[in-house]
Amino acid sequence: MQYNDKLNLKKLDQDLITVNKKKKKVQKIGMENWMKGIFFMCAVFSISSIVFMIYFIFSSGIPFITEYGVARFLTGTTWAPSNTPGSYGILPMMIGSILVTGGATLIGMPIGILTAVFMAAYCPPELYKILKAAVNLMAAIPSILYGFFALQFIVPFMREVAGGTGMNMMTAMILLGLMILPTIISLSEAALRAVPRSYYEGSLALGTTHEKTVLSVMVPAAKSGIISSVILGIGRAIGETMAVVLIAGNQPIIPDSLFSGVRTLTTNIVLEMAYAQGEHKEALIATAAVLFLFILMINSLFLYVKKKRG
Amino acid sequence: MTITKWIKFATVSGAALILAACGGSNQSEEAEAQLGGNDFDQTQNVHVISREDGSGTRGAFTEITGILAKDGDKETDLTYSGATIQNNTNAVMTSVAQDIAAIGYISMDSLNDSVKAVSIDDVSPSIETIQQKEYPISRPFNLAYKGELSEAAEDFWNYIMSKEGQQIIAEEGLVQVVQQAPAYQASEGLSGTISVVGSTSVTPVMEKLAEAYQTLQPNVQIDITSNGSSAGMTAAMDGTAEIGMSSRELTEEETSQLESEAIAIDGIAVIVHKDNPVQSLTTEQVKQIFTGELDTWEGLAP
Amino acid sequence: MGSKWIKIAVYLSAGITFAALLFMVMFIFIKGIPYLSLDLFSWEYTTENQSLLPSLLTTLIVVGLTLLIAAPIGIFTSFYLVEYASKTSKFVSAIRMAVDTLAAVPSIVYGLFGMIFYVTFLGFQYSVAAGVLTSVIMILPIIIRSTEEALFSVSDTLREASYGLGAGKLRTIFRVVLPAAMPSILSGLILASGRVIGETAALMYTLGTSTHLPSGLFSSGRTLALHMYVLASEGLYVDKAYATGAVLIILVIVINSVATLLSQTTIKETVK
Repeated sequence: MQYNDKLNLKKLDQDLITVNKKKKKVQKIGMENWMKGIFFMCAVFSISSIVFMIYFIFSSGIPFITEYGVARFLTGTTWAPSNTPGSYGILPMMIGSILVTGGATLIGMPIGILTAVFMAAYCPPELYKILKAAVNLMAAIPSILYGFFALQFIVPFMREVAGGTGMNMMTAMILLGLMILPTIISLSEAALRAVPRSYYEGSLALGTTHEKTVLSVMVPAAKSGIISSVILGIGRAIGETMAVVLIAGNQPIIPDSLFSGVRTLTTNIVLEMAYAQGEHKEALIATAAVLFLFILMINSLFLYVKKKRG
Repeated sequence: MTITKWIKFATVSGAALILAACGGSNQSEEAEAQLGGNDFDQTQNVHVISREDGSGTRGAFTEITGILAKDGDKETDLTYSGATIQNNTNAVMTSVAQDIAAIGYISMDSLNDSVKAVSIDDVSPSIETIQQKEYPISRPFNLAYKGELSEAAEDFWNYIMSKEGQQIIAEEGLVQVVQQAPAYQASEGLSGTISVVGSTSVTPVMEKLAEAYQTLQPNVQIDITSNGSSAGMTAAMDGTAEIGMSSRELTEEETSQLESEAIAIDGIAVIVHKDNPVQSLTTEQVKQIFTGELDTWEGLAP
Repeated sequence: MGSKWIKIAVYLSAGITFAALLFMVMFIFIKGIPYLSLDLFSWEYTTENQSLLPSLLTTLIVVGLTLLIAAPIGIFTSFYLVEYASKTSKFVSAIRMAVDTLAAVPSIVYGLFGMIFYVTFLGFQYSVAAGVLTSVIMILPIIIRSTEEALFSVSDTLREASYGLGAGKLRTIFRVVLPAAMPSILSGLILASGRVIGETAALMYTLGTSTHLPSGLFSSGRTLALHMYVLASEGLYVDKAYATGAVLIILVIVINSVATLLSQTTIKETVK
């Protein structure tokens, strides 16, 4: 009896252990699935909120566009909401957005990428800490502060150089060029740092100079990251408002020179939203829908370029 | 090696900084020379600075000066298409303060000595001239609500229209709407939160009113949100806010849904640079300048 | 192009970038610091004393709550997109595209969405809740995108090694991939919080601009950037606006340094 009991106990112990082991395994798999579920839920939430946003923009914008006429809206050159009946042509703003963003990219891209090169390949470590913090600071300075700054410095400067009010396309390009720097610098730098050390060493071993190695080996290797930093920079430039509104002049006419005032799609929205009513407000949301398509087009273009090169 | 890099970097950034700083100071010197006095160049172009479409200030300004041309049902805003557009008072003021050839218009209670207000038809803008209806360009500040006001809100409304409330309005450089307003009689035991939303132009005076009111009714809290007349009217219509503030006339849709009342009259001052010799303009000249017909300062200065 | 010229171009660009930043920070400090006084840090905002303390605290509350909600959701979303979803899936690349595009949509559009959806439709009124939820949607694209980039940069050999040692997927993600990607994820979060700190247009229509310290989730307030914007826009308190700007920059510097410190300690710990 006793012996049996002991045996039973032993068996029970073993059983218990296996059960526990199984349980642990079950728990583990349960945890895996559980977390996967959580990740999935988060993804669903994010994606649906993104889809919701897009739906919101289009569902409030498109009825106005179809009612007013797609061609009239997109190719009209008069923007006069105060008139009765109002005119809502956004061609000047579309051209303004393209020109200003293009100009800002031309200014910001080389400076940004080269600064990233400096940070990744030239900067001594003691200085790096400070500069890295500086770049982060630059990204977090609110855009109205950039705007105040530009209004007090770039605008008077431009007035001296080019005459007029000093609020013109060039001013906007310089300011935006400055504002997209932190985005380009921090992402390009990360991309450059991700290039394997062996590339650099290999190239040096072949007798190339540090400079040439950086520019002809590391930068091409980090191309994908650098391109996406530029895309994000362009996105920031095209979406920027609070600063640009202060210094671009905001005339709703097609600019005829670098030094004439300009209004972009984004500034058009921010400028008039606070007081817009009814049709006028719908027209502004429709502008946002057009802006969205615009950015989508730019992104697709870059994706295409990236794929073709890759 | 690192030290050399450090030094090089410091030199380059230092040089860039100095360049930038020099650019700054040179230009301000030149500006000073230009502002230096009587040699105002009358042949230079007028730099017209206007507000954005839909703004209360612009609406009143264009309507009174005739820039908004009416033809039956049709209305056309003739504002010069080359005019710089700014979307707040401060931006207009800063733009004018920096540029001797600029002209703009702002709410009178924001006027300060960084710019100069010109007389219109030989009447200088002041509380008296607006009250006497001699100064032509002004607009009402409206408050609006939907349905019924809560007890606290109604008491606050009464306060605004009372002698004390109108007194504060006058101190803020605005014109009272009620001349012989009755004294405020405090209701007992009021409490709650009143949310007031709308025009950025009305906000400063509303803050003063709310503060004074809260010293009388400490249990009532007034939350003021300053985000534009239309946002205010929308908030009042959909119940987000109890009271909406507007610096423009209400639209038809708004008046059909809201009860509104003007609490003050605000003058609109036409402003130029401090060193601009122009003292007075006629309404017609203002119209011609803002529609782009007059494009230089020739003949405008005495 | 000779090596010398490359070097000059690199140094010159860096010089321009940092000189511009320095110049700007100096400008705001010179304009603002003379007007900073203890009075600006009193508990109540009045028209006589435009105290910024309520807005400073509101900024911290709004940024904190926003990150609290958006950071896990954003990071987990990227986990799903990078570690679980099929890499070649058209759906995932479509999402990526949408995320990139939304990152460039001007914040006023988010503000409008927040106003129509949270403030009016859900009846939150102008409140911290509406402001925070709007900011969450606004910064999700930034967090997702930067976390994704960070996860991509972790080499697959690390993952394979972890699996090879018998670790499960979850363990690999949290113990191997996440620590390696942490610095980049953190800098993405810093970027995102910077966007909230500097935001005006989106919050103006959702958080409102009440000068009081919010008494709860459903009461209105204003962040420092909004405070500055409102002070400056009517031209009445421009000096105080610059003073607020100076405080804002100091706040950003503090937040950034804390985050950097945090990321460095996490790196050290994982290396241990």
